[in-house]
Amino acid sequence: MEFDAAFITGLFLHSFSLWWVIIPAVLIGIVMGAIPGFAAHNTIIILLPLTLALDVEVALVFMVALYSASHLGGGIPAILLNIPGTGGAAATTLDGYQMTKNGQASKALAVCFVASVMGGLISSIVTLFALPALSRVGYYVHSVEMVVIMLFGLALIASIAAQDMLKGLIAGAFGLMLGAMGADHIYATPRGTFGFLELFDGVPLVPALIGLFAISEALVMLEQKWLVDTKGTVAVPATTWANSLSETLQAFRKWWLITWTSLLGLVIGVLPGAGASIAAFVAYQQARLFSKTPERFGTGFSDGVAAPEAANNGVTTGTLVPLLAIGVPGGSTAAVMMVVLQFHGFPFGPRLFVEAPELAYGVITAMAVSYVFMFLTIVPMVRYMSRITVVSTMYLAPMIVAFTLVGAFVPRGFLFDMGIAFAFGIIGYVARKTGYHVAAILIGVILGPLIERSFILAMRISGNDPMVMFSSTIGNILWVLLLLSLLLPVVTGRWRDRRAKAAGRSTGASR
Amino acid sequence: MLDRESRKPVGADLIIPVAAGAYAIYYVLSVRSFPWQAQMSGMILAGLMLLLVLIYLARVAIGLRRGRYSMGFGDFFGAPASRASRAIFVALIVAYIFAVPYLGFTLTTFAFLALSFHVAGARPVGRALLTAGLAALGGWFFFIVLLNTRFPKGPFEQLMGAIF
Repeated sequence: MEFDAAFITGLFLHSFSLWWVIIPAVLIGIVMGAIPGFAAHNTIIILLPLTLALDVEVALVFMVALYSASHLGGGIPAILLNIPGTGGAAATTLDGYQMTKNGQASKALAVCFVASVMGGLISSIVTLFALPALSRVGYYVHSVEMVVIMLFGLALIASIAAQDMLKGLIAGAFGLMLGAMGADHIYATPRGTFGFLELFDGVPLVPALIGLFAISEALVMLEQKWLVDTKGTVAVPATTWANSLSETLQAFRKWWLITWTSLLGLVIGVLPGAGASIAAFVAYQQARLFSKTPERFGTGFSDGVAAPEAANNGVTTGTLVPLLAIGVPGGSTAAVMMVVLQFHGFPFGPRLFVEAPELAYGVITAMAVSYVFMFLTIVPMVRYMSRITVVSTMYLAPMIVAFTLVGAFVPRGFLFDMGIAFAFGIIGYVARKTGYHVAAILIGVILGPLIERSFILAMRISGNDPMVMFSSTIGNILWVLLLLSLLLPVVTGRWRDRRAKAAGRSTGASR
Repeated sequence: MLDRESRKPVGADLIIPVAAGAYAIYYVLSVRSFPWQAQMSGMILAGLMLLLVLIYLARVAIGLRRGRYSMGFGDFFGAPASRASRAIFVALIVAYIFAVPYLGFTLTTFAFLALSFHVAGARPVGRALLTAGLAALGGWFFFIVLLNTRFPKGPFEQLMGAIF
C-alpha cells in the first residue's frame, strides 16, 4: 500500500466517519481526566469489556480518543482547583491557578484548550509523516537487538518514572519474572506456576492489568473520603459566550510557542517512561528560558499554561511510537493498547504496518481527528467543569472494583482469572504504597515472554553462544546506552550531593 | 543517627523485594530438573532479580545500622479510622469472586455495591441502594444485553433471558 496523499486523505475521512466512537470517548476522557488521580489507562481498563467486545479498529480509536481527551481534561482542575487531574498537568498549576486567582480562569482555560488541541494536532500530524520511516526501524532490529531494546525500555521506565531507581528496577525485574511464568518455549514444561493449570500459558495480561491498575487504585482511593479537598478553592466567575470566543481566538496567537513545545513533548514522549509530567515541566522551563519576560512566569502568565499543556498533549502520540514501530509499549496506556491488540490477535511493530497498515496509521489519524472533535465539544462544557472533580470515593471505588473484576473473566472465561486480578491488585496496592512503580511491573509482565522468546531465538541461531548478545553494532550501542541510563542518575546524584555539602561547608566557614 | 520519630520506616518497602526474591528462588527450584537450554533464560532472570534484591537489602541494612531507617510500617495501612472498613471491603471483593459463578453478574454486583457503599459510609441507605441497583442494571443492559459480553450468568440473567 502506497503512503501517498490519497491514502492519507482516505485515512482522515475514515477517522471522521468514526465520529460516533470518538465523541463519546472524548467526553468520557475529558471528564475522567478532570478527576485527579484517575488516569486514562484506568478508564480504559474499566471499559475493557467494551473494548474487547468491539471490533479492533473501533476499540483502538476509542482508546486513543479517550487517552488524548484525558490529557486535555487534566488541565481543568489544575487551573480551577490547583490540583492536576493527571501528572502531565502538574506544571499547569504554576501559572494556571495563579490566573484563576487573578480572575482570569476562563482565559486560562481557553489557553489550555487551544494549546492542548493545537499541540496534539501538530504532534500527531508530524508523527503520521514520520511513521513510514519509523516503521522501517523494525527491519534493522533482530532478536539480539530486541532483547537489548526491551531491557533498555524497561530500565528507562524504572529509572525515569520511578522515584527510586533501585525500586523501579526491582519492580521491572519482578514483572519480568512473573512474565516468565508458564510453559517454557522449548519443552513446554510449566515453570513457576504453583501447580495451577490455568497459569500454563503464562500470566493472563488482562487480569494482571486490571489488578495492578484498577483494583489497587480503588484500594488506595478508599483511604480518603473525597478525591479532592475543595476547601480554599477559588470561585470561578461566570463568563459570556462572546468572552469565551474572544479569549479562544487570542490564544491562537501563541502558535509558535505551542508548536515547538508540542514537538518537544513528542520527542520526550517517544522515550519509554519519560511521560507527560516530565515533558510538561521541561517545556515550562524551556519556555521561561527563551521568554522575553521570564519574570512573569509563576505570576499567572498565559505562556506558562500554553507551554506545558502543548507538551502534555504532544506526548500522547509520542508514547504510541515505540509500540507501533518496534512493538515495545512506551507507557501505561500504550501497554493497555498492546494488551487489546494481543487479545484480538494483531501483531506489533513492522508486521502491523505490513499486515494492517490502515490500523497502524489509522491510530494516529484517529488521534488527530479526536483533537478536532475535542475542540468542538470542550467549549460548551467549560462552565460545568469544576464540579467534575468533586467525586466521593465511597461510590467510585466499589464501582471500579465491580466493573473491572468481572472484566478479568471475559477473555478466557475462567473464574480463576478474577482471583489473579485480585492477587495483582494486592501486589499493586503494596507497590503503590511503598514507591515501586506499577507500570514497570506491568511492562515487565508484558515483555517477559517477548524477551525470553527473542533471547532463545538469538541463542539458537548462534549455537548457544552467549557472546551473540554483543555481536551487533546497534545492540552494542544500546548496551552502552542502557549502562549509561543506569549509571548517569547515580553519578549525577552523588555529584549534586557533594556540591550541596561543599556549598554548606563554605557557607558555614564564611560565618 | 536520627531520633526514633525521624527515621524512615522501611518495613513495608521490604514486602515486594522479599516476595520477588522468594518467587525467584521458587522459580529456580521449579526448573532445576530441566535441560539447560530450558533453564537458561529463567536462571538469568532469577539471578538478576536476586542481585537487585540483595543490593536493596544491603542498602536497608546500612540505613538501619546508621540509624536512618526503622523497621516500622509508617502509613502503609492508611488512616486508622478507615482501616476496618477497608478490610471489610477487601473481604467483600473475595466474596464477590466466590459468589459470582452462582449468583451471576447482576445480582452479585448489586449485593457487592450495596454492601460496599454501606461499609464505606455512603448515606442515606436508600440512595446507596438505588445507586447500586442502577449501576448493576446499567451494567447488565450495557455489557450483557447490548454487547453480549461473556459475563457470568445467574438467576437474574436466566430470568431475563426467558422473559425477553
